[in-house]
Amino acid sequence: MKGLSSLERIILECVGVRPLTYEEILRQTGLMENVCFNLLQALIIKGLLRSEAGHYKISDISPATMEDLNGPEARKAESLELIEAVLEQESDRVFRFLKIALDPRDEKIFLAMLSNVESFLKDAHRRSQSTVPVKNRRVVFWGVGEVDRLLKQIMIGG
Amino acid sequence: MSLQDQTIHRYRLFFPQETLRQISERTGIQITRVFRLLNGKPMKLGEFEAFEGAIQLKLSENKSFGRLNSLLEESSSLLTNDELSRLANYVERKIENKKYTRTYLQPLLDAAVIA
Repeated sequence: MKGLSSLERIILECVGVRPLTYEEILRQTGLMENVCFNLLQALIIKGLLRSEAGHYKISDISPATMEDLNGPEARKAESLELIEAVLEQESDRVFRFLKIALDPRDEKIFLAMLSNVESFLKDAHRRSQSTVPVKNRRVVFWGVGEVDRLLKQIMIGG
Repeated sequence: MSLQDQTIHRYRLFFPQETLRQISERTGIQITRVFRLLNGKPMKLGEFEAFEGAIQLKLSENKSFGRLNSLLEESSSLLTNDELSRLANYVERKIENKKYTRTYLQPLLDAAVIA
């Protein structure tokens, strides 16, 4: 499989900040015990994680492996996995999908608003990342595309 | 992995917790023979068909699997290599995630062999 699954990524995100014990990883990720154990074993076998004195830490990863884990294809597949999970959520789902007419002026305003939203989110993350466990963070996504171009993309199978 | 090993492996994926007795009842193969087959004795054609039959019966319970199979067949002649690769990646991710959430099978297989 190219890249990481979202389950593998959450473990690496946790131990990427500092080495953690098994219990700390469980607390940070909110994963079930057997799933967490399986993931840790798989990541060790893949050479991405190592265990030292009861703590799990990220191994030295070669640039080629890093490219494989974080390359555009891998990130795209991982984003789709999470977006699909958001769509499948049965409660507290926040998702809007709109086809709207925007004149060039309104589009500029909209993109500026998105830029503001992004700045706000980055600041919020900086403030709270040390206190909010990975499992309680939010997945936020947005995107804009022109219908004509998107349909062409679908037709050529892109 | 030989064809026989693949069949037993697939059987175990569908029926991970079955004991020798239950395998024997499902396949109609004697319990001592099941023990031998799980330990690598070569299968006769009829035994192979019995295991495959049990797998196919289980698969037929899931209507979506048949649909997926026929769509895959059709996609192989219609979709580009890139599109097929994307589909394969998608399915592979689903499988990987599912594997993480399942209990590792080997201990169960060992337990059944000992049972």
